[in-house]
Amino acid sequence: MSVTDRRRRPRHPWRLLATALAATVLAVLVPTAPAAAHNQLIDTAPAKDAVLDEPPAEVALEFVERLDPTYTTIVVTDAQRRTVATSAPEISGARGVVRFTEPLAPGTYTVAYRVVSLDGHPVQGSFRFTVAGDAPAATTAPVATPTTPDPTATPATAAEEREASRGVAIAVAVGVGVVALAALAGVLARRRSGNGQR
Amino acid sequence: MADTDPTTDSAAQRPTMSRRRLLTGGALAAGGALAGAGLTWGVADREPPAGTADPVSFGEQVEPFYGPHQAGIATPAQAHASFVAFDLLPTVDRAALGRLMRLWTDDAARLTQGQPPLADTEPELALLPARLTITFGFGPGLLRAAGRSDQWPEAIGSLPSFSVDRLQPNWSGGDLLIQICADDPVTVSHAQRMMIKDARPFATVRWIQQGFLHGRGVRGDGQTPRNLLGQLDGTTNPKPGTPEFDAAVWVSDGPEWLRGGSALVLRRIRLDLDDWDRLGRAEREYVLGRRLDTGAPLTGQREDDPPDFTATDESGLYVIPEFSHIRRAHVADPRLRMLRRFYNYELAPATGGPPEAGMIFAAYQANVQRQFVPVQRKLAEADLLNKWTIPIGSAVFAIPPGCEPGGWIGERLLA
Repeated sequence: MSVTDRRRRPRHPWRLLATALAATVLAVLVPTAPAAAHNQLIDTAPAKDAVLDEPPAEVALEFVERLDPTYTTIVVTDAQRRTVATSAPEISGARGVVRFTEPLAPGTYTVAYRVVSLDGHPVQGSFRFTVAGDAPAATTAPVATPTTPDPTATPATAAEEREASRGVAIAVAVGVGVVALAALAGVLARRRSGNGQR
Repeated sequence: MADTDPTTDSAAQRPTMSRRRLLTGGALAAGGALAGAGLTWGVADREPPAGTADPVSFGEQVEPFYGPHQAGIATPAQAHASFVAFDLLPTVDRAALGRLMRLWTDDAARLTQGQPPLADTEPELALLPARLTITFGFGPGLLRAAGRSDQWPEAIGSLPSFSVDRLQPNWSGGDLLIQICADDPVTVSHAQRMMIKDARPFATVRWIQQGFLHGRGVRGDGQTPRNLLGQLDGTTNPKPGTPEFDAAVWVSDGPEWLRGGSALVLRRIRLDLDDWDRLGRAEREYVLGRRLDTGAPLTGQREDDPPDFTATDESGLYVIPEFSHIRRAHVADPRLRMLRRFYNYELAPATGGPPEAGMIFAAYQANVQRQFVPVQRKLAEADLLNKWTIPIGSAVFAIPPGCEPGGWIGERLLA
């Protein structure tokens, strides 16, 4: 290493460390960022995780942006992941509503939505609510083949697997980042002590 | 088809780099985690190209010209293509068309076999055909000029206008088409020049659309090519040599002159790549309904896995979204699928600015009204991909059957 190189070395190694840490955090977070910039769910009725004494007649979802009826899906499923019968989504502005054709039995329900922003970006998500009371599935309705999985439900979807592999990737990236930071810290420490000896 | 490469299977025996090795290796090489998160994507198809024979021999490879069907349809897609549409001069009648097609048939029969046609002023450029095919198509205007309008098949008819269309006349229509394909762009250029020269007394060029796929040998022969959206395009194409292919592509009824032929719908589709770039990876895959890396449907693992349109995720949503391209474009009956033989295009702008990119969508089928039209209607209704794919040109041509030595293309209509 030449003398000029040594002179150019920053005085404060912690700045380097901070920069590297910030870059690592950015690298891990940035790939997940784009979806956040588009249409968003802002309010629902029933509310997320609500426990209701009476079954709701409908589910309403309110978004930030106007919805395109062509590309709006709202699906309600019960705890056994069976689709609950509803009307087609009724869209007015940024609000989408599905009405239940029969009163909901007690139990926990999942409301899933998939919409498209004005700029064409697909956005999806889900939330749950519960109708209080004794769930009938366990007590009243011993289904003929309770252990048979729903044929429309795949055990693990490609999207989930992808999420899983993305999780692995992020874990690896964080791991590598930690190793790199440790190495960097080690190098800096050694250089420092080296300087001291000379 | 004459030169299918026997080495395709060897890909499985070659060492392939695992995703994890690429990920960790790449991340370490980058000196930290900075690139780590981005590296998980886009590496899965990094296999060594299979079927890469001696590249020099690619130039000498020949596709047969004569046969019951014209070449350039069942032929595995060559790397380069030029589609040239002509307007007939007003004086051209059936006899003149016969003269043109005799001349062109002779030119094509020679050029495709690596022989210079008569009066070739650059004969050396004809010596490496590189699987050259020259395919002829007739538009409705040709039948009018020949006084045979009654012979235009109802199965082709004309295309309705679709809500997504932004068609420009200078990329649409045409009385006559030649499709020139080869693995070498110099070969395509030379063949194009010879064919245009010989057409001079009969017709003027209306438009030329040139396109490209991966270079030959860059990937294995027979692998599904990628379009400029990054998508493997043509996965569900009918496979040549199967009864489904014959039923889907070759005309077997209607006017006698077209039997053994086909019908080509040629659409020029501009891609809004700048806006496509704003989509995240998962969003793009929802739009397409397939994984970008493997081309597998979102419900499967491999490119050729059949999509499961009924599968739902944990929350109850269809895994393959309602608006996804593969759900909208799906045709259950393989005999009603189209043979899509697309080419990418990219045009440098005359002045500054980014290039215009897109694809030349060439779809062959026996019956346009039963195959292209219903699919395009479904796509126009609710295919989210429409946002990034804008049809700017459209043309339909009847593709006459092939001919035997001594015969000529279109003989049964024009003789």
